[in-house]
Amino acid sequence: MIDNLNRFVFANIDSLLNGLWVTVYVCFWGLLLAVALGLVMCLVRLYVPVLRYVAIAYIEFCRATPILVQLLWVNYVWPDLFGFPSSVVGAGIIALALQSSGYLAETFRSGIEGLPKGHVEAGVALGMGPVQIFIRIVLPQVALVMAPSLINQIAVIIKSSTLISVIAIPDLMYEALRIVNQWFEPIEILTSVGLLYFILIFAISMTANQLAQFFNRKLGLVA
Amino acid sequence: MLDRLKDSLDLSVFWEYRVILLSGFGQNLSIFLLAGILATAIAFLIGAARLNRNWFIRTGALGYSEFFRNTPEYVLLVWVYYIMPILLTNLLKTRFDLSPYAAAVLALGVAYSGFMAETVRAGLLSVPKGHVEAALALGMSRRAILFRIVMPQAVRRMLPEALNQYVSLFKATSIVSLIAVEDIMYRVSMVNVDQMRPLPLYTGAALFYCLIIITASQIIQRLTNGWRVRGWA
Amino acid sequence: MGDGIINAYSDMENRMTATAPTIRVRNLSKSFGAAEVLKDISVDFQEGTVTSLLGASGSGKSTFLRCLNYLEIPSAGEILIEGVPIGATVCNGTRKLHSPSEVARMRMKLGMVFQSFNLWPHMTVLGNVIEAPMRVLGLPRKEAVEIGRQFLAKVNLTDKESAYPARLSGGQQQRVAIARALAMQPKVMLFDEATSALDPELTGEVLEVMRGLAAEGTTMIVVTHEMRFAREVSDRVLFLHGGAIEEEGPPEQIFGSPKSERCRRFVSTVMN
Repeated sequence: MIDNLNRFVFANIDSLLNGLWVTVYVCFWGLLLAVALGLVMCLVRLYVPVLRYVAIAYIEFCRATPILVQLLWVNYVWPDLFGFPSSVVGAGIIALALQSSGYLAETFRSGIEGLPKGHVEAGVALGMGPVQIFIRIVLPQVALVMAPSLINQIAVIIKSSTLISVIAIPDLMYEALRIVNQWFEPIEILTSVGLLYFILIFAISMTANQLAQFFNRKLGLVA
Repeated sequence: MLDRLKDSLDLSVFWEYRVILLSGFGQNLSIFLLAGILATAIAFLIGAARLNRNWFIRTGALGYSEFFRNTPEYVLLVWVYYIMPILLTNLLKTRFDLSPYAAAVLALGVAYSGFMAETVRAGLLSVPKGHVEAALALGMSRRAILFRIVMPQAVRRMLPEALNQYVSLFKATSIVSLIAVEDIMYRVSMVNVDQMRPLPLYTGAALFYCLIIITASQIIQRLTNGWRVRGWA
Repeated sequence: MGDGIINAYSDMENRMTATAPTIRVRNLSKSFGAAEVLKDISVDFQEGTVTSLLGASGSGKSTFLRCLNYLEIPSAGEILIEGVPIGATVCNGTRKLHSPSEVARMRMKLGMVFQSFNLWPHMTVLGNVIEAPMRVLGLPRKEAVEIGRQFLAKVNLTDKESAYPARLSGGQQQRVAIARALAMQPKVMLFDEATSALDPELTGEVLEVMRGLAAEGTTMIVVTHEMRFAREVSDRVLFLHGGAIEEEGPPEQIFGSPKSERCRRFVSTVMN
């Protein structure tokens, strides 16, 4: 088996690492876009009178559709409908972002709503303006409370990214499946790639947990 | 773009192929049910094992649930589909083939057993220690306490979270098309090959899932709110 | 001289049978990690007596009570219920722990009422009361229901038998808890701050039940902050401090003329 390991995994280590890089790339931009969209949608939902229903519909849609369905929809329908994305990678990034933005919008919302009203009132009583209150009091606390959930979403994005291979994005999963189909020897490749994904995701969610415990213990914040 | 939008929402092609698409959906449903049963069964074992007195059993259960919570479902699906037959053939010394359907049920069931084990554990832990102490003080045996006092309460308390997990599981069944199970997404792409109308087909699929999941979530919300008000869960 | 010895023996016999304590505690010690919560306590509890345990928070009174039915495991010492050790047998200095089922069997002789009632929410009031008689004593349902109703009547809650605990007030729940413990017809009733979690206007109904039990001659050990109850109902009061019995005696002594300074200070603070 070690021999096989060499033949299939290490011989192809180059294409596997390329795939890993593509995975990281897509996940990174997907996360960034997800945070941006999630934040916007959250604020619209909370503070903008008429458009909040659009935001709610958006959030519900993003959370209710499976990632694969979103992926296929963005990849096959959007170019015709909206003119973009023009590449499969773009479609992958957008689809991952859609999925996570829904969840993040809700996370942001519970973070903001969970802030004790008293903190804001104290700021108002001291004569602080609304923007100042938001930036100096609300945002820092909300950011800390949400950090573990945010990190958890990274893990979710990586897990979902395994599906972008379906629209021919050459990520880690794509490369692994390509090698398996080429050589018909799935054991070493799939197990190695599977373990790699597991270790990556496990490390990230462990970090999230430790962070959450740390915040809870030191600052009394509950995620 | 407007006429493209109209085309996307022109669901007549969906309606035309409704029999094929719905029977595909039937596959999703049955895989969901079987995987759900498998996941729940394993979850009770592992969740209870997480609270066992023996360190090895506890840690083993922890390893199990951490492994399956942090491994992508698609990876598990592919792994089970490709590698299980080989392992079982070698083990049983006879040719063993795993149908895509069976691989899907097994992979998804096992994948979600990790999440549900956590739910079971949380449910068991949420039963107030005092209730167990009262039972102990009355001389009840550990077995009687587990089945008469802890379980009834734990199951009620874990129900809301468990229902959410089932919804996630249902969403996850959408990936079975990738190992050639003829589910709804598989049928959608088949129809697309035939009709070359991706706009309404894929939009329709998204809206279809959306409708089902949102309805299910709303029902679950109403149910669990009702339970919470009545002090049940 | 022969007469004298025979008399001496029969005297001893009489003394032993007449005053055999229902609960005998010998050298009970309990530590939580580095903290020594109970220090080498030895005390007897006689049948038919009501003993109140008083003391400041942290004095170890709840821990002591919970050691009696082995909900807390002592670090050292032994406890005998009607002459039989509970939890562990000490033989020439070595402790042999009992199996869970042996401990369960001993626990049947003791009834405990908890501060937080601990009624099981998924069973009705009657269900709570008959559960142990059916599961532990193996009584058939009809008989258990009869006994259950009898004790529910004793605590004046017959009309609530099909209600669920969540619907009851704190005082009612605690009375059900008392009925549940009584239904097992234990030799001793242990009360762990039974009224501390109740609103003031609800403590009365529970204390009334407890007074009734005392008047009937139930052997009771009561950890409480209700000083009036302790003074009026107890046969004996134990004052704990720092894990040891600082003073013990009849209520007149503890409340009237305590011998120890700490006890005097405690009583005067609490009575005001």
